[in-house]
Amino acid sequence: MAELVGAFAASHAPLIARDWAKLPAASREIITADFAELGRRLAATRPDVLIELAPDHWTNFFIDNLPSICIGVGASHDGPPEPFMKDFPRPIAGDAAFAQHIAKTAFEEDFEPSISHHMALDHGFCIPLSKLGLPRLPRLVPIVVNNLEPPMPSIRRCFAWGRLLAKAIATYPDNIRVAILGSGGLSHSIGEPTMGAIDEAFDRDCIKAFQDGAEGPLTRLLDDRMEAAGNGTHEVRNWVIAHSAAGNRGFDLIDYRVMPEVYVGCGWASWRV
Amino acid sequence: MATDYWFSKLCYDLQRPGAGAEYRADREKVLARYPLAPEVLAAIRADDVATLAPLVNAYLLRFYFGAAGMNDETFVAKLHAMQKEPAHG
Repeated sequence: MAELVGAFAASHAPLIARDWAKLPAASREIITADFAELGRRLAATRPDVLIELAPDHWTNFFIDNLPSICIGVGASHDGPPEPFMKDFPRPIAGDAAFAQHIAKTAFEEDFEPSISHHMALDHGFCIPLSKLGLPRLPRLVPIVVNNLEPPMPSIRRCFAWGRLLAKAIATYPDNIRVAILGSGGLSHSIGEPTMGAIDEAFDRDCIKAFQDGAEGPLTRLLDDRMEAAGNGTHEVRNWVIAHSAAGNRGFDLIDYRVMPEVYVGCGWASWRV
Repeated sequence: MATDYWFSKLCYDLQRPGAGAEYRADREKVLARYPLAPEVLAAIRADDVATLAPLVNAYLLRFYFGAAGMNDETFVAKLHAMQKEPAHG
């Protein structure tokens, strides 16, 4: 049987890649060290497969056809189209059979995700992967979560998705080790009148709520304050899904930094599973 | 939030390789492909961030002005100015 061996979260500010050479040396050191620690923890779980949750930054989908959740069931995925990510190795190996099992489990449990047999994974997926320093990437099952354009999945539904992923892993017959990575957050504001604002108070309350672990208070906090903390903050949904898949317990903050130089309140974390 | 489909479509399409360069070289040629409302067209021609912002997803707005040749500092300054002005429209 498959086993959930780890759950993790990391920010993915595009300026980490686009403006890397222009960032202050101290910022580069912090970002490098925090991703390296996350990578060390992830590698220690020896995953065969990584389920990664991230938004699609208008790469595969447009308002013509905009899924709330889309599971990438391809045997491989395209790399990021952004010019500043051109060096990311591609194609990215997938796990079609396991991804289809997640989709099948979802439909059996009255969830209706979209599926895609061929996606390009933009910086939201690939910045963490590029910075983790893993000797080789596990097979990747990408799950796009709409964090960009209303209406978006409720926090309540994100908790349900986490439980569903845990069930899909537990019921997969092959003996594989599976880790989960929620990509994005914490607070940031992009293309809005508040662009560049970081809500440190929200971020620290959010971190506290993850540490406390309980679904109700975390849901209320996000329902009440996430919208005002900036449009990019909606990516915290991906942390919630990872948190829920890990059983709402054992949250360990690796680091949190207010980083206006990349427009994001950056966080790195892992969960005990 | 996207409320104007054709301006949103323009922003999205400008992500294609080479599309931004084409737009910067001949904006009117590209604009002619989209049935944009006259007031939207006027705002595009004026680089009017405040008028265009409510019409499109904020990430696409940022991408649009990057593709149109506006640097980050100017774009952010125009966004911040919206906080000090009465809302358009």
